[in-house]
Amino acid sequence: MKRSIGLYVHIPFCQHKCSYCDFYSVVSLEAMERFTETIVKEIRLWAQQEQLDATVETIFWGGGTPSLLECTQAEQIASALRSVFSLAPSYEWTIEANPGTVTLEKLRYYRELGINRISFGVQSFDHRELEFLERIHSAQQAEEAVELARRAGFNNVNLDVIYALPGQDLETYQRTLERVCALAPEHISAYSLVYEHGTPLYRQLQRGAIIPLDEDQEAAFYSKTVEFLAQRGYRQYEVSNFARPGRQCRHNLLYWRRGQYVGFGPSAHSHVDNIRWSNVRSLRRYFDAIERGSLPIVAREHLTIEQQRAESIFLGLRADGIELDAFARAYGVWLDRGMLGDMITEWQQKGWACLDGRRLHLTSRGYALCDALTLQLLDALERAQSASGSFVDCNV
Amino acid sequence: MDHIRNFCIIAHIDHGKSTLADRLLERTGRVTARQMVTDQILDDNPLEQERGITIKLHAVQMDYTARNGRTYTLNLIDTPGHVDFSYEVSRSLAACEGALLVVDATQGVEAQTISNLYLAVDAGLEIIPVINKIDLPAAETMLESVIAQVIDLIGCKREEIILASAKAGIGVDDILEAVVARIPPPKGNPDAPLRALIYDSLYDPYRGVVVNVRIFDGTLREKDSVLFMATGQVYQVDEVGVLYMEQHRTGELSAGNVGYFTASIRRVRDTKVGDTVTHAQRPCSEPIAGFREVKPMVFSGIYPADSDDFEDLRDALEKLALNDAAIHYEPETSAALGFGFRCGFLGLLHMEIVQERLEREFGQTIVTTVPNVRYLVRRTDGTEQWVENPAQMPEPVKIAEILEPYIRAQIITPTEYLGPIMQLCIERRGTVLGQHYLTQTRVDLSVELPLAEVVFDFYDKLKSISRGYASLDYEYSDYKPGDLVKLDILLNGDPVDALSTIVHRQKAYEWGRRLCSKLKKLIPRHLFEVVIQAAIGSKIIARDSIAPLRKNVLAKCYGGDVTRKRKLLEKQKEGKKRMKQIGRVEVPQEAFLAVLRLGDES
Repeated sequence: MKRSIGLYVHIPFCQHKCSYCDFYSVVSLEAMERFTETIVKEIRLWAQQEQLDATVETIFWGGGTPSLLECTQAEQIASALRSVFSLAPSYEWTIEANPGTVTLEKLRYYRELGINRISFGVQSFDHRELEFLERIHSAQQAEEAVELARRAGFNNVNLDVIYALPGQDLETYQRTLERVCALAPEHISAYSLVYEHGTPLYRQLQRGAIIPLDEDQEAAFYSKTVEFLAQRGYRQYEVSNFARPGRQCRHNLLYWRRGQYVGFGPSAHSHVDNIRWSNVRSLRRYFDAIERGSLPIVAREHLTIEQQRAESIFLGLRADGIELDAFARAYGVWLDRGMLGDMITEWQQKGWACLDGRRLHLTSRGYALCDALTLQLLDALERAQSASGSFVDCNV
Repeated sequence: MDHIRNFCIIAHIDHGKSTLADRLLERTGRVTARQMVTDQILDDNPLEQERGITIKLHAVQMDYTARNGRTYTLNLIDTPGHVDFSYEVSRSLAACEGALLVVDATQGVEAQTISNLYLAVDAGLEIIPVINKIDLPAAETMLESVIAQVIDLIGCKREEIILASAKAGIGVDDILEAVVARIPPPKGNPDAPLRALIYDSLYDPYRGVVVNVRIFDGTLREKDSVLFMATGQVYQVDEVGVLYMEQHRTGELSAGNVGYFTASIRRVRDTKVGDTVTHAQRPCSEPIAGFREVKPMVFSGIYPADSDDFEDLRDALEKLALNDAAIHYEPETSAALGFGFRCGFLGLLHMEIVQERLEREFGQTIVTTVPNVRYLVRRTDGTEQWVENPAQMPEPVKIAEILEPYIRAQIITPTEYLGPIMQLCIERRGTVLGQHYLTQTRVDLSVELPLAEVVFDFYDKLKSISRGYASLDYEYSDYKPGDLVKLDILLNGDPVDALSTIVHRQKAYEWGRRLCSKLKKLIPRHLFEVVIQAAIGSKIIARDSIAPLRKNVLAKCYGGDVTRKRKLLEKQKEGKKRMKQIGRVEVPQEAFLAVLRLGDES
């Protein structure tokens, strides 16, 4: 049987780096043409070396700012993908776009290429907040971009929002949520601001130039998000992701369900057959490698069974849950029995988790505590295992 | 014997003792300038050099040809410069006939100088006053008053005081001449039964313990069979010699002289400072007076940060004790901290030295509990019990009385700080015994204080309120009853034995409240509420709580970069591992020293 995979393409260019972002990109656009030629080579090189017999269920073009690509450049990359991979009939193909970079013409062209989902980094509808985040677009441009996408024929739209900014109040945030919902996107990603090491925002924090919200304030913003979006028909299916029924991002679900995917472009990550690898995080070294005829891979690890198990837990808990029977078959541990079972019962009693048939998943309140719960479960697993000497309850 | 002079130097920290010693060595040709790699030769322990204090004793023999044309053998015996080691000081003074009293021309007499001087006078030593650093500009205005202080202190004549600058080499010859002329030669009979005083010993990994002795009577030779009178142990002497900068084997050592011997002794502990060495076959009738068992005064639990490292810590303590006779340790178990050791120290400095050596020399990562003193508990059933660990204090109903150790402190301070210092002493339950004006602007304050009150930050407080000018010295006095209670800390109802302290009843409420609020800041939020309580017996006297976690998740999962997320989790897991588990509550290690830092908040 053919395996199902996802494809990720990293477009490492931005007009300007946002203050919070730590994804790999460069602000000089000169190399875009060379990049297009190179990534086409990478895709062909990879297909030649790996000969993977697979059907592509999802494609995700992320960045960076993929919408900076000229139509011809986008076309070359799309053709390369289509020439080496076979696309499933019901594929999902997402492109990330900055509202300040799109035109109706470009959006129509994306649709012609077969792209059927678009994700706009809106982040906020408050102009001071947009300035703070160093976004290049205005609130109005964001609304116009969504309008254009609809006219171009996109019926699957995601909007990204960031909340819990320093000094932000719940009223301003609610206005942003209202304007987001007024645009009726199928999907909303709402992220609590993370101060990533190495970003300008992190340095401001270190200097004491900004004061982050405290845990309780952040929790209030989170609750607001969950309640507001629930009322408008968006179901939470991951810590920061909300969708109309049937409109979850299939590509992201692939990540969270430990699915298989291949990434192209600098800093892209891949996962096939319990091997994870990543490409070099430097455009220059990326060019060098491929022009020399080799893949730009810098890190490759074969996951141990313990690492696989840990992944199943932390990814499952933060997204749509852990299938208890499948988990027991894979790792020989019943999460609903013995000491672990007592813990899961306690989670349910506290309102942090639910058992949906045989699927254990967190509730909205549980998602808010996801990292603490994950550590607790991993710790309990380790202790249950050392108590029994090896994997417990192996008679699956 | 007429040509031997045994002497030591008494001085406060930084008054130039080590520099003067170096200069004497240089002048007598014992070291060349080239050998003086580090400025101060006698302090050869890096910790000592860092702190500017001498911990271990050293001695060195010099030959000096005096102006009268005769050559003398001078034994300079160094003394440790800290109150924790005052017994060792008294033993090295007993090995001498004279002492140089060194006073800084810009600082004047300090508490430590006075207490050591009294020890020297009591030991009947000839005192040669030296005022050092006279070349410093500040000496011009201070010198007359310092001279007056010294005259007042020892009742000498003005012309007996030697003005010197060790750094500039001024007065060094005068000092050497005074040593020869004023300090009496040792007395003793080389043919009498052997009587030798142990004033120091150090550990040598190849030859065992090197015992430093002063011979009062008789002659010690290699292959002699010797008896240590206090311990009753007999050893055969391997090597005998005198101490130059290094050990210099001579094969024998006679009455009046100072030197060393080795006898394949395994641990420093087997050679007690102050003990008398005599011949096993022809023992002397009376040991040298003044021997005392050194008892630890301050106790603290030392635990490995990772409970798996218990055996490593045991090995490290064993090795450390090879050349630290004063440390006591025995295994103990704490519900909070697991397996560790209860350690006894001579004082706070000694405790810090041990902790630092464990970390630096032996690479241990340790958790130490709050230091405490040793209490004497009189039970209602009439029995008595020593308590070195607050967790072992009997239940309140079984206690008739608790006694605690007191010290007699001597504080010398400029008069402007007298008020705040008296206030500090009274806050710490002290009683002022008397005050004596050394000059119009300097006062010598004598205070009796419970040792437990000095164990916490007293010295730091004293230094900060006097801007560093006050100096402190103390001696242990006796045990007195106190209205003391054991204060327990409970986390969600579980007592944390390692956080129990013994406090005065009147201070218990304030102490408990502050401890709870300090712990609230140090313990992270959990998935459940954490209640912190302070209790005396079953009575809760203070309470605080840590609200449960409300949000603990990183919003982003970094797309396909699952490895990054996994590594983040692994790091968090490591962090949790370093915490100590009390019931279900995870307590960071720094919380166990929270009591020590309570002062920061007020």
